[in-house]
Amino acid sequence: MLPWVYEFHWTAFHITFLSIFFTVFAVVVSTVFVAVKRTQRAEQNRTMDEIQWRSDFADLSPAMKVCRHEMNGDVKHRVCDHGFDCRSCSVHPLLISKQTKTPLLQFEVYGFTMPPYRMYHRGHTWVQQEDDGTYKIGIDDFGTRIIGSTYSVELPPIGTRLSVNGKGMVVKKANMDIRLLSPIDGEVIEQGDSEKGWYLKVKANDSKKVTDHLLKTDEVPNWILREMERLQISMATSGVGITLADGGELVPDFHRHFPNADWDGILGQMFLEA
Amino acid sequence: MDKILIPRGLQRTSFTKFLIWIFPWIALLSLGIYAIYLCLAEGLFHTNMDNRFAFGIWIFLDLTVIALGAGAFFTGFLLYILRRKELKAVINSAVVIGLICYSGAILVLAVDVGQPIRAWFTFWHPNVHSMLTEVTFCLTCYLIVLFIEYIPIILKNRQLRSIPKFLVFEFELHKLMPVFAGIGTFLSFFHQGSLGGLFGVLRGRPFAFREELGIWPSTFFLFVISAAAAGPSFIMLTTWLVEKITRKQLVKPEVYKFLGKVSGTMLIAYVLLKSIDTLFWINSTSPGNGFPAFEFYATQSFGTWILFTEIVILGLIPALILLSSRLRENRKILLGAGFLVCTGIMLNRFVMTIQTLALPTLPFDDFLTYAPSWEEVATFLFVVAYGMLLYSFTYRYSVIFPQERELAQLNGELSQQEFADSGNAKKSWQPKFISDLLNKFVSTKS
Repeated sequence: MLPWVYEFHWTAFHITFLSIFFTVFAVVVSTVFVAVKRTQRAEQNRTMDEIQWRSDFADLSPAMKVCRHEMNGDVKHRVCDHGFDCRSCSVHPLLISKQTKTPLLQFEVYGFTMPPYRMYHRGHTWVQQEDDGTYKIGIDDFGTRIIGSTYSVELPPIGTRLSVNGKGMVVKKANMDIRLLSPIDGEVIEQGDSEKGWYLKVKANDSKKVTDHLLKTDEVPNWILREMERLQISMATSGVGITLADGGELVPDFHRHFPNADWDGILGQMFLEA
Repeated sequence: MDKILIPRGLQRTSFTKFLIWIFPWIALLSLGIYAIYLCLAEGLFHTNMDNRFAFGIWIFLDLTVIALGAGAFFTGFLLYILRRKELKAVINSAVVIGLICYSGAILVLAVDVGQPIRAWFTFWHPNVHSMLTEVTFCLTCYLIVLFIEYIPIILKNRQLRSIPKFLVFEFELHKLMPVFAGIGTFLSFFHQGSLGGLFGVLRGRPFAFREELGIWPSTFFLFVISAAAAGPSFIMLTTWLVEKITRKQLVKPEVYKFLGKVSGTMLIAYVLLKSIDTLFWINSTSPGNGFPAFEFYATQSFGTWILFTEIVILGLIPALILLSSRLRENRKILLGAGFLVCTGIMLNRFVMTIQTLALPTLPFDDFLTYAPSWEEVATFLFVVAYGMLLYSFTYRYSVIFPQERELAQLNGELSQQEFADSGNAKKSWQPKFISDLLNKFVSTKS
């Protein structure tokens, strides 16, 4: 008699039935066990940020995952499937090599201050390389305007290792916590604030591809145009209703003009947080 | 009030309206709990079943909800095993519906057995020759699988997502879903089949008795195929119902059409096999057991119309509708056909349980009538109320339809476009409107 099974007999029927049952049971239990073990391993290997981003990215609509090369007109239609990390994309280098555009050197893009010496992350942070090889990170003008005037920023402590698309900083406004994605990999070596105009100084990892995935100045106008559209649409679906805003520029404290809008939802969408 | 729990960027009704919505279901749930208490504490005399008529409304509805809940395994099979990505839009809903159906069915079975304290007997003293043992084991295992599949849906809740461990666990569990989908398909095949297989041993009921094909009777396969046909239709109907109640588009039209096509394909196979099975039963099985088949329909209230309705009106017709790509384009026709499919499954399970037991099998037997007691009805309504509440809470606090956000944006974009294209926009492009709008939304720089 097998343990746990009352009146078991060594007959083909008993053996087959119970074998199937215990196999199914074992597969279910072991699959859950594998999931638990993988979770623990992710915790130990600090890949939580990556998983969080992959999960968030999977929840973004295809319209939000448009490839930068579609925005630039390099391809007709392409949805990013690399979590906006072009460094792991095999198509990106091919398309970049075909680009013949002369970089634009404009500071103002549809009314937003977007200096050409900075590189931009799709989650509305910017990166600026310093003379000493370190990088400053800040929130771009578009992001700053939709967040509005009164907010605080929770920064990672010095020594924290950031990873691309991991949690960079958290903006706290009213009852909302908005996670801003880190634009590059590296170690935080200094904290800034809004008065300094930047929030983090980072020593990047030893890689030549530190900023390859970031949007360069000539890509910014098309991206900002898309972001304006995206903002308009998310406002239309977030309690503001229909707005018709072709032309004009965002006011500095955009947030204040629509106090009843679902800002939590709007900011979540604009900063790519599910 | 509960905004902090609602997924970011999704619109949900106010908490007050939600409370008003759930109140009647809670009342119904309470009534059901009382009825269940009566049946379990005082005994099954509260039901109108007896030793002669032991298949009542509970067994009929058990078989029905398990067939309708088959959308969970079949959708999982199509999505994770056959890689039909269209169904990603409804897989969460299918899992929730499956969980409701299966847990509800098991709960009602526990009341039906009437000895919940001895429920474990079926596992400890299994009769390995009984189809129902297979059903019990498979149902229990599949309910566990459904519960595991439900965990990632709960963990999509905003507050739970903010706990890194849960987020990662949800992510890892989601990656392993094909394994659960495979197990679910395996288990469902056997328990759906075994429910039908029961009629292979009902020799005393020649109306429902079917001869074995190999080791299983024809009803084994008919139950599996009919459940696979009804499941997608039920998902289609429930999705439409949720869209109507919430006044939102939750899935793309293509999803409805695909579900309809799947349902139609399975249904036509079912109708064909059911017709062959019926003809064989009329000409061989039934006369072989001493009953010319049409005697079962001759004098009783269940005439041949019920057979015609089941196979033609609720089988062949919806199958042909669902197989026509032109007819699937029309949402009303598509949903109407889906409704017929689900009604057809209900009728089939009714015939196989209630009608089977109502018909006399011995010369001195009478045609039996049975009407459920209020306790039986209330117990079933408990499952309905529990289902509505579980679905409502899951919908409100998690993401059941992954396309919801995208569709809200698309519809927002369309509204903008329509507004811009309409005369209203033109009229509004007058000083007051534009100045109000610009003052609010933009600052102009000349």
